[in-house]
Amino acid sequence: MTRDLQPTLLVGAAALAAFGVSLVNFAAQGTVDAQVGLTFGTVLVAFGGVFVATRRFAPEAVPHLLPPVAVIAGFGFVEIFRLNPFRAGLQRWWLLIGAALAAVVLAWIARNGLPSLRRYRNTQLLVAVGLLLMPLLPSEGSLPIRGLEVNGSRLWIEIDLYITQLNFQPGEVAKLLFVVFLASYLADRQPALKGAHRRIGRLTLPEPRQLGPLLLVWLGSLGILISQRDLGASLLLFLVFVAMLYVATGEGGYLVGGGMLIAIGGVASWQMFDHVQRRVSAWLDPFGAFEDAGYQVAQGIFGMGTGSLAGSGPGLGQPELIPNAITDFIFAAVGEEFGFAGTVAVLGCYALAIATGFGIALRSRDRFNKLLAFGLTFVFAIQTFLIIGGVLRVVPLTGIALPFMSYGGSALVGNFMLVALLLAVSHEEATR
Amino acid sequence: MNGPMRRMASLVFLGFGLLLGALTWFQVLGANGYRSDPRNVRTAINISGKERGLIVTSDGSVLARSNPDPDDPQAYLRSYPEGPTFSHVVGYTSRLVGEAGLESAYRNELRSRRDLTISDVIAALFGRDLRPENVLVTIDAELQRAAAAALEGSRGAVVAIEPSTGAILAYVSSPSYDPNAFLGETAVANRQAVLDDPAEPIRDRAGAELYPPGSTFKVVVAAAAVETGLAGPETAFDDPVIYELPGSTATIGNANGGPCGDGVTVTLQAALVRSCNTVFAELAVRVGAGAIGQTASSFGFERSIEFPWSLAESTFPESDLTDDAAALAQSGIGERNVRVTPLQMAMVAAAVANDGEVAQPYIVSQVFDADGNAEEVAEPRVIGRPMSPATAVVLTEMMERVVTSGTGQQASITGVRVAGKTGTALPEPGQPDVWFIGFAPVEAPQIAIAVMLEDGGPLGESGSGGSVAAPIAGSLMERYLVRGDS
Repeated sequence: MTRDLQPTLLVGAAALAAFGVSLVNFAAQGTVDAQVGLTFGTVLVAFGGVFVATRRFAPEAVPHLLPPVAVIAGFGFVEIFRLNPFRAGLQRWWLLIGAALAAVVLAWIARNGLPSLRRYRNTQLLVAVGLLLMPLLPSEGSLPIRGLEVNGSRLWIEIDLYITQLNFQPGEVAKLLFVVFLASYLADRQPALKGAHRRIGRLTLPEPRQLGPLLLVWLGSLGILISQRDLGASLLLFLVFVAMLYVATGEGGYLVGGGMLIAIGGVASWQMFDHVQRRVSAWLDPFGAFEDAGYQVAQGIFGMGTGSLAGSGPGLGQPELIPNAITDFIFAAVGEEFGFAGTVAVLGCYALAIATGFGIALRSRDRFNKLLAFGLTFVFAIQTFLIIGGVLRVVPLTGIALPFMSYGGSALVGNFMLVALLLAVSHEEATR
Repeated sequence: MNGPMRRMASLVFLGFGLLLGALTWFQVLGANGYRSDPRNVRTAINISGKERGLIVTSDGSVLARSNPDPDDPQAYLRSYPEGPTFSHVVGYTSRLVGEAGLESAYRNELRSRRDLTISDVIAALFGRDLRPENVLVTIDAELQRAAAAALEGSRGAVVAIEPSTGAILAYVSSPSYDPNAFLGETAVANRQAVLDDPAEPIRDRAGAELYPPGSTFKVVVAAAAVETGLAGPETAFDDPVIYELPGSTATIGNANGGPCGDGVTVTLQAALVRSCNTVFAELAVRVGAGAIGQTASSFGFERSIEFPWSLAESTFPESDLTDDAAALAQSGIGERNVRVTPLQMAMVAAAVANDGEVAQPYIVSQVFDADGNAEEVAEPRVIGRPMSPATAVVLTEMMERVVTSGTGQQASITGVRVAGKTGTALPEPGQPDVWFIGFAPVEAPQIAIAVMLEDGGPLGESGSGGSVAAPIAGSLMERYLVRGDS
């Protein structure tokens, strides 16, 4: 792909989203309205804006990351618009805000350089932990920032801006900070961590002292699970940590140890928490628990099965039967209305974006850049896998936003910043 | 670091492979199962308000149609002009309470293809007709209405078959319900009222409920006896007042309490004409469970019969009866372990009428497009040969005597030779299930019929097959044949 193709592809993605919205319009009212133009404009301005920012601040960045992401965002937007036009209006603003923040990130890195991210490492970790803990703030009281409980999980904060209130999931930004911190920490400590192992028979185990951080992060993840009842974020943080540790050191023992800790944590939380048990039983037999815990998964599968190869067509299915169809289950809603053709296209775009991310990591020579690109890509990939896998019964359902598709401003902002960082790394590595 | 990184990337794409595999199952290979799952209301929602094809009889009676909705120019309203009379055949399709009957079995043919789905658009591009197809049923509308009227106020069923083809001429289960009540906004409450009705109108007594056949089962036992050469019409049997069940102190007596004939010997023919239990109990033991079971299964027992909806399987549990002569003797007179549907007993009568061949019963003769061109036409076929044509002639003669001089005299029709057999089963004391199976005219059968009423019909405890079911069967066959002649 030549670089000149990128604007064409982004216009194509915007046109695709606009065409989808026009079909939804037509199915609902038999005519087409201004939403079509607005959608085209939003997608084009958002992703075109990021593209212009890369031209200016990171001209050597890889050209094939933005187009698949724009297509994904377009698909998601059509389905959100079809299910909840009001929320689609909000999502439109979040797309623009996320894109603007991505441009800011690109500009800031162009001015200060990627290494500047390594400067306040411990502060970053503290901020990340602080952000993660913010939803635990009291939900009543005079503080301008309050914790919120939504669907039994405590992931949200409500920011009082006096004129209006803004709800935000600080965890979406915290996980970026966590990856930046880990990349920086592991880049420095890599020689020490590597080779620090002892052999027991044929098994190579890391030095017990080196397992300290592993256990610490494991406990932290469990803490998130217990205090916020958020299976997804807990699993995500721990998986990213183990994967980055393994990549930095090449020690398979970390994978084995991490796997064992996940197993222990999984079994323990299954025994301790009702909500984990419900998730697991809904995973094993959603149709047996149709009236209860399995309803959402079963409805998602019914939707995708009814959609079959070609789908019902946008606006012509019944994805509103699926609970949380615009957030956790947006993939099932796409499956119902766009069919197997649509879901394979979406899955292909994710695969393309993720492969591009891994490519950036593999080609990077600087240790920090390499780990950063890998960690960011891995976060993106694991989120995608966990939530689509949950919808498709490959893994138990965890409430995680599908990157760039699910409705939700915080996730969109976080993922735009993630893409901006990846673009910055690819530019920096290309110009070294 | 690139080695571990490549391995982690491979792991991620392995995970994506799993996602693709799961997706292929849910949306391609297993999609039909999920789409048609009864808990998946999407199909019902999709077709509500859309145009659907007609369900009609050959005389032009409309059983189901779609009319334009006066309130919404784009929508249609389904209606069932015949109301309860055809409900167990036509069924219903309702956004709120699901679907049943032909409306369910022929949903793909009856639906409009103007759905704007991609596959329908492709079909349109290739010039395929998008209008819904229509279903022509074999039911004779007038006979169906007459049968429903005859069962009015009783619980029971009438099934009539054209013996040579297997075409269903009447399929009535009484009491019935009005499928129109399942269509509107009050569908859920209306359906609950139907489900709560103690007379259980939702049940399909014609084909999906099992009853003891009583003495009508003697036709099956006689067919097995004649076919195996163990007995003929003139074979003489002992004529005791009671038959002692082998290995038991229990006994079987005749309906009149006395002997069947002169108290010394009686022929098989006389025993069938007078419906003597003593003789048939002994005959069943002589013929044996194996031979009776084989004949029964050729008639369609113990087999799932292909039909637009699921039928109950009539049973003659051969393996349970092989070593239990007492149970075999009781089963030989249609009690104990034998259970049948009225449809199955109509097939028994039809097989005797059709030179011993059982025709596959069918209820849809044609699916035709909006211009009236046939798309699918039913092909009659034979699914069993329980007896030779010679045996069928012998049985026909015996069954004709039942109507001319035996228990089935009330089924006789002036100027038409009728063959038949009555039955009165007593699963519960005082609540006889009364039966008549038969066919006419004997020389060239055009209709075979089974009539069954629970609890003795209007006569209650004192009702019998001969006094309640036989006259209904006679008048229905007369109506069908007389009109057919004119």
